[in-house]
Amino acid sequence: MSRAQALQPPCEAVVRQAIEWSLRLQVHPRDSRLYEQCQRWRGLAAEHERAWQRVQALSGELSEQFAALPATGVAIEALEQSQQRLQRRQALKLLSGVAVLGCAGWFARDLAPLQQWRADYATGIAQRSTFHLADGTSLQLNTDSAVQHDVDERRRSIILTRGEILLDTATSHPTEGRPVLQVHSDHGVFETLAGRFVVRRDELQTRLSVITGEVLVRPLNGRPVQARPGQDYRVSANQAHLVADPDMDASAWIDGLIVTRGMRLHDFLAEVARYRRGRVVCADDIADLRLSGVFRLQDTDKLLAVLPQTLPVRVEYRTRWWVTLRRHA
Amino acid sequence: MPSHNQGVTTLYLDHHRWLHAWLHGRLGNAADAADLVQETFVRLLNRRERLELKTPRAFLRTVAKGLVIDHWRRGEIERAYLEALAQRPDLESPSPESRELVFELLERIARMLDGLKPKVRQAFLLAQCEGLSHPQVAARMGISLRSVERYVADALYHCYLLRYGA
Repeated sequence: MSRAQALQPPCEAVVRQAIEWSLRLQVHPRDSRLYEQCQRWRGLAAEHERAWQRVQALSGELSEQFAALPATGVAIEALEQSQQRLQRRQALKLLSGVAVLGCAGWFARDLAPLQQWRADYATGIAQRSTFHLADGTSLQLNTDSAVQHDVDERRRSIILTRGEILLDTATSHPTEGRPVLQVHSDHGVFETLAGRFVVRRDELQTRLSVITGEVLVRPLNGRPVQARPGQDYRVSANQAHLVADPDMDASAWIDGLIVTRGMRLHDFLAEVARYRRGRVVCADDIADLRLSGVFRLQDTDKLLAVLPQTLPVRVEYRTRWWVTLRRHA
Repeated sequence: MPSHNQGVTTLYLDHHRWLHAWLHGRLGNAADAADLVQETFVRLLNRRERLELKTPRAFLRTVAKGLVIDHWRRGEIERAYLEALAQRPDLESPSPESRELVFELLERIARMLDGLKPKVRQAFLLAQCEGLSHPQVAARMGISLRSVERYVADALYHCYLLRYGA
């Protein structure tokens, strides 16, 4: 290859293809057919080969760097922790002025003025944020949540794409002639004219908890149901199912709490895990222990640390974000 | 380039006191602020790009802000690393010299990954640092294998741009 040719940088599409090939071969290092296909792709154009060589050199450099890092768990832990704290500091101390830092990502989005319609709102893990929509509705996002919304005089529509939200569409506003507020999730649509309610999207179902007002639940393929204040529903695409005796308070997170009544430890830890990075799990033989109480979400390490006071368990940290609970010996 | 040096000198004479006050406000510490004032101007001297002399303070603030973030990042990395180490009594504590090398390496990696979305960054780190396979990363993060592949590819492309320029 001549030097002049080598100076022509490959375009993005080709570089991304080279990365694809490189990753595929890393996953299947002994797949000779894949190797031949890759060879063929490299031969198709000089640009392909240049991109390939660069990607290979980069991968080599990266492997070398990462191989020099200290023991498993410690390095990644240090990198993730420091990054989170750094973002917090940047947001607090630098974003307070005029600057907006691109690298703050989701954090910056939370702090940005949110007058744009059709915008995405999102929170990171362990964050809560409140937004006020154009029609006066207040929208609060729990940890690791995201919505798209489209709200004006004619249409009030919110799509819950991830996580959990509290909606408060005030009754003090004149409701006459106002369009119905609709919340869409994977499993159905939730409609109200005025009310305060929580919608949470899980993988297999959507949960609804009505605090005030009435909410019409329309499962995608099922019969609509009117949900009243104090009621909790689990909604799948086929039906809305009233939860008679909920094992936790669906709206306690608004006050930064988890409040449980006889909740399985396994389920409780799954709740806690939503508020922190990494894994929180328990051994099978303690999964069915029951837990009732009020727990503060502000510091989930502290929260976990109090569990041995009420249950026969001990908390084991493999890394800061890999926690396992075991039966206390 | 004497004109470049002259520009930096003018900037320094006119604004270094102001910059020190600004940095002091950010860092809450006069000695650190003085260090970063000096670093800001050293960086300008070493850089060959055009000085923004029409809005000198905004320009200085931009350069200094990058240094403040580097300064914080270094501090946070050291703290987080020592904390992570403290939770692993099974590991031997490294000597101060090798610790210093680790800090530098971690800092370089952290800067390289700056700007990646949290999930992209996490997927990439789990694969690179922990040596997890893509299906393992998917299980650990609770996301699909396809997402992991996309995230890792995105992270590599990000590194590629840093390494070779756009």
